[in-house]
Amino acid sequence: MPYSADISRDKPGCFLFLVDRSGSMVGALSGQPGQRKMDQASDAINRLLDAVSQRCSSGLDIRDYFHIGILGYNTDDRGTPIITSALAGTSPDQPFLPISQVVETAQVVERTVRESDGAGGIVEVPRRFPVWLEPHAEYGTPMCEALNFASQALQNWVGQFPDSFPPIVINVSDGNANDGDPEPLAHSIMTLQTSDGNVLVFNVHLSEMATMPVQFPDTEEGLPDELAVRLFRMSSILPESSRNLAASLDLTMNENSRGFVFNADMTSLVQFLDIGTRGPSNIELH
Amino acid sequence: MSLGLPKRFWAPKAGNASEEYEDASNLASSLRAARSLSADRALMAICDGASEAAFSREWANILTDAFVSRPLDLENLDGPVLSNWLGPCESEWNEAVPWERIPWHGEAKTRAGSLAALLGLTIELTPDRSGKFPWRAVAIGDCCLFVVREGELEVSFPLDESGQFNSTPSLICSNPDNSGNLWEQVRQLSGEFRQDDLILLASDALAAWFLQQHESRARPWETLLELEAAEWEGWVQERRQERSMRNDDSTLIVVEVEAGRETGNAEQTNGREQ
Repeated sequence: MPYSADISRDKPGCFLFLVDRSGSMVGALSGQPGQRKMDQASDAINRLLDAVSQRCSSGLDIRDYFHIGILGYNTDDRGTPIITSALAGTSPDQPFLPISQVVETAQVVERTVRESDGAGGIVEVPRRFPVWLEPHAEYGTPMCEALNFASQALQNWVGQFPDSFPPIVINVSDGNANDGDPEPLAHSIMTLQTSDGNVLVFNVHLSEMATMPVQFPDTEEGLPDELAVRLFRMSSILPESSRNLAASLDLTMNENSRGFVFNADMTSLVQFLDIGTRGPSNIELH
Repeated sequence: MSLGLPKRFWAPKAGNASEEYEDASNLASSLRAARSLSADRALMAICDGASEAAFSREWANILTDAFVSRPLDLENLDGPVLSNWLGPCESEWNEAVPWERIPWHGEAKTRAGSLAALLGLTIELTPDRSGKFPWRAVAIGDCCLFVVREGELEVSFPLDESGQFNSTPSLICSNPDNSGNLWEQVRQLSGEFRQDDLILLASDALAAWFLQQHESRARPWETLLELEAAEWEGWVQERRQERSMRNDDSTLIVVEVEAGRETGNAEQTNGREQ
């Protein structure tokens, strides 16, 4: 069965994040006053990476069950694509670091959060949060160029780890590519493969449109605009093994559900890969 | 009745170091403990610390050590008995955690508590009034007990089909605030052993392989019984490579029921320190 490779240090998983950093990302996010798309994009990446890091933590140490890359894309004022690799010590050609090195590159900030005190009350407690990506928005959206870099990096990665769970690309954007049609490029990336299956491409669509959030839809019908439809078409159908894990997280999916969300949380995506025994259904961790 | 020379084998997930092995088992010391406390009882336990929890190795070892050194009262087991038994284990885990050194990525999950599946077995080594040798088993999660009698799988507990294994079994949490409805997850079984019974305790990946083999009409216990310590890790690696066994920490205890009076005190292991 595809998408069933055990994830280990020898056969790590791989996430490649693509982040739209174009000028349009300065726009406000629907339904969230004061929250700009670029804030949401960097928050989403930071939360996703935090979740991956925590999954690989054994308490003191991090196990290198995943390799991570982050490519940002925008242009300069003349429209020349600028592709940046966000993790220290990497480049757009070689964007990946093992997760143990990724956690070392995080800037850790302390914030006060409100939490349950376990006795029906609320307490304010200091908690540490990792930050890899700061909000950024400038000029054009060279999504095609970013996908080209991604394709090359992923070709190298699957060559290096031919029996791993296939890499997952997560593209966070408002969808307005202006260097061509990114759909064929996304489909081309989906043809890359390991012995366990094809590369998966997921999309997080951040929009100013005031419509209901959409999570893992199975059809493009009812999506709010053509940009959403295009990102939906650029998204892989979720494999059965991930749907089974999603079901244990109370997410509803069917065999046509795709890795696409519209103005909705995508942190659950990193829970779709199995790295061993996790929290059981009888226990709710607080 | 006595128990033959036990075998206790273990292997970490491929790609992980042996100090990252998060299963735990206790048998030989249980037999020693059994002799010092009551020569008529044997105790054995196997634990699978959750890969995704923090300090699981410590938690798994604390639980198996407790099961053999300070036996859980399986005859009168209920929610309060279990909670009282777990209390010192929880304290020990709290003391074992280097709280001041936890990095940000381990903070939330360490605060939430560690998680492990437990299978414990107690065996009376002197016959009861009806001349039988009673045993009691308790399980939370998916570590399994198998009993083979006259070439047939007589007991498969708490799971009896390979399809029942998944990545979210019931587990014991080291933080009582997060233990949820633990008592509802407890499974118990009792029975009587006979001479020549074969007893196997296995953590989940090995147990799932065992049941899958049995469902294919194979006799997996024969394979496991024949395995020597030196062959064990290579054998596990082959099963992982052919993808008949998940790449996960794997632990096995095998012991045969014999007719004699002396219970084996030594054990055969695959020779690596835990």
